[in-house]
Amino acid sequence: MSVDQAGASAPAVRATARRILPPPVTGQELVLVGVIVVLWVLLGLFTPAFLSAGSIRPLLVSVAPIALIGVGMTFIIITAGIDVSVGGAIMLCAVVTAKSLVDFDLALPLAIALSIGLGLLLGLLNGVLIAYGRVHAIIITFGTANIFQFLALRVFGSSTVNGIPGTFDVFGRGEAGRTFGVPHSFLITIVIVAVAWWYLRHTSGGRNLFAIGGNAQAARLAGIAVQPRILAAYALTGALVGLAACFFIAAGTSTLDQAVGSGRELAVIAAVVIGGTSILGGRGSVIGTLLGAILVQTVTSGVTQLGWPSQLANLFVGVFIIIAVGTDLLRQRARKAS
Amino acid sequence: MSPENATATEPALRLELRDIVKSYGGVRAIRHADFAVRPGTVHALVGENGAGKSTLIKIIAGAERADAGSIVFDGVASTIASTADAIKLGVQTVYQEPQLFPELSVAENVFVGREIKRGLRIDWTAQADHMHELLNTVGLPDRIATVPVGSLSIAEQQQVSIAKALAGEATVLILDEPSAILTDSEIDVLFAVIRRLTASGVAVIYISHRLDELFRIADVVTVMRDGRTITTEPIGELSVRQIAELMVGGVVSESRPAQGETAGEIVLELDALSGADTFRNVSLTVRSGEIVGLYGLVGSGAGDIASVVYGIDRASSGRMLLSGEPVTIHSASKARRLGIHLLPANRSAQGSFSFQSIAFNITAGELKLLSRLPGWVTRRRERDIAREFIDRLAVKTPSQSSPLSSMSGGNAQKVVLARQLVKRPRLLVLVEPTQGVDVGAKEEIHRIISRLADEGTAVLVVTSDLGEVLRISDRILVVRDGEITAEFRPDATQVEILAAASGAESDPTKESA
Repeated sequence: MSVDQAGASAPAVRATARRILPPPVTGQELVLVGVIVVLWVLLGLFTPAFLSAGSIRPLLVSVAPIALIGVGMTFIIITAGIDVSVGGAIMLCAVVTAKSLVDFDLALPLAIALSIGLGLLLGLLNGVLIAYGRVHAIIITFGTANIFQFLALRVFGSSTVNGIPGTFDVFGRGEAGRTFGVPHSFLITIVIVAVAWWYLRHTSGGRNLFAIGGNAQAARLAGIAVQPRILAAYALTGALVGLAACFFIAAGTSTLDQAVGSGRELAVIAAVVIGGTSILGGRGSVIGTLLGAILVQTVTSGVTQLGWPSQLANLFVGVFIIIAVGTDLLRQRARKAS
Repeated sequence: MSPENATATEPALRLELRDIVKSYGGVRAIRHADFAVRPGTVHALVGENGAGKSTLIKIIAGAERADAGSIVFDGVASTIASTADAIKLGVQTVYQEPQLFPELSVAENVFVGREIKRGLRIDWTAQADHMHELLNTVGLPDRIATVPVGSLSIAEQQQVSIAKALAGEATVLILDEPSAILTDSEIDVLFAVIRRLTASGVAVIYISHRLDELFRIADVVTVMRDGRTITTEPIGELSVRQIAELMVGGVVSESRPAQGETAGEIVLELDALSGADTFRNVSLTVRSGEIVGLYGLVGSGAGDIASVVYGIDRASSGRMLLSGEPVTIHSASKARRLGIHLLPANRSAQGSFSFQSIAFNITAGELKLLSRLPGWVTRRRERDIAREFIDRLAVKTPSQSSPLSSMSGGNAQKVVLARQLVKRPRLLVLVEPTQGVDVGAKEEIHRIISRLADEGTAVLVVTSDLGEVLRISDRILVVRDGEITAEFRPDATQVEILAAASGAESDPTKESA
């Protein structure tokens, strides 16, 4: 109740603006940074090779597609939706693009456009069914996941795709795939995360996603075009899946096997949830998702480098998910109790 | 505010609805409505639940479209096809249940869908500037801007809803039962806000079940009944009784429902019971056939006492005795086994399965009655019991298989009450039994409660409705700051009870701005 703000001076208003602006990073993100740093230091102590460029670089390359799709998934989960079809969609985009590279020797821009275009189409299909069909997202995307997988396996035929030209080497692990030592796929991911962060924080379109996930009915009554926004979130995810599929093709050595994309939806959702996005919608951040992806891949790669059985990675990721979701639920309960 | 003034300088109409008709499926929600509001006035809209008020409001707010009829805004024929259209015209709505986003801060909630932009991005500085003004208008402190809405009280959430409605350009402000969830002092704040708005030319449409308060705030009143607008008059031309008669279309009896004359043995006894920092040292008794009213303002702890009696919360010290036997109740199912039934305050959250049928809702919790074999629910028994109760309680519904969510508030409350009556309880605890319920349904609910007491049930009613506690209680206990501070007979005056409930410093007749 400050009377002195009645004739609010410019600095005072700016100070208030800073206060009402959503915080740039959340506490959970700082905790994640801390956990990652601790893990890296520990891994560095036990396997000295871990902190070398030769070990960090592949880690970043493996983070890129998960974090990239994670950006779209964060948008979706903020609206209180989910997309479990991204694994199938990666598979379909990757096999169609890889086959086209083999058969038509497409130029790089065309190949990227094809993969993104196809992904966008798949995302639009999900989005239309979910936003306008009003069926729960998990049902729809569970269905489309199976359809995408079926189509992809049809394109695969009964074998792997072999003899893929090196068109995507710019996204690969080799020398052609980095600038100043940083993998291109990771750089692209960082740029997209930054743009998405800005969009979510500073535009009405971004803030409205939070509103939709917080209370869709209230969002509609506030005059927000709820359905187009939801559709757009799934379409975006589809397009990012298309781009990530290029990274997956680049990760192989001129072959693409049928396991591509399989189980990736769980890695992506794990990254988003560990990153602090509430599975109930209305709250989340893409920086958290990027950190979540780095954490998940660090655990996976760390377990391998320590020579531990690889199933342990699943155990650790599982524990992280439960901790993240548990924290979210405790927070919500604490708020309800107050 | 005076009628002479209103007629002398009658401004042009802000919004006019003519010959509005609206059906849902086969049900005629609005048969024929004419409605017109003038800028700078408070126009009350009253009617029983199901009279068509909510539908009319939704049509104005763009949440529903009329089947027929026309809308004229500032003299221009207009179409309101969506909430976005309505907002563009400056029609802002504060719904009965706050339509807010719990995860987002107050500042963000206020500007959702009406962000101030500079180019692509949100202009946070301009929003902060405007925020300060809006919070001032609705009487909230500046520091609240960054708090997540989910952590605010219901009353504060409603003030935020009003700030949100005012964030855009408001020409017409619709308030749907804003006072239902507010305490008297919060209502004073609300009225001060409304007066400030009308002074600046906003037309306010005000819906309320508390007819007496209309005389403090409204200029004009329109009464709806059975989907028709019955009459529109300056408020000074009508009395509470006349409005009530117009609403129900007949004469309302003012006689109190019969009260339990001969109380039996003690059913419930609380002995120096304390809850975890909600109430302290509460001792009371409720006898068989007796209705004890527990009156307290919101936050007094009266509701928490009910929660402990029913086993939702635990007592930190003290004893609870049921027919003289000390009992510890740790769960609602134990409470039910002991014959204690609860009618919760927040029926949409605690009391009902809104997408399930009325029959399901009535019989839920009493599935044992429905079965011949353990665990086997007989649909026919479910139907029979539901039909019996629909008749007994005069619930208005197209069919017993309609979902609860399709019913009006008063009728839904009757259904939830019916569930408690399937097995006549030894002790019935009711929390705010008629909140958001219209006059007619209120009377019926009071009659049901009285009848149960006459049949020997011990009844504990927790309410913040002064008229209600006086009308139905045999004894009134006042709770303030977690303690029972006074006991009254039902012939006490409202002023005495309110003074005891709100402390000596408060004077209920005072109008604070």
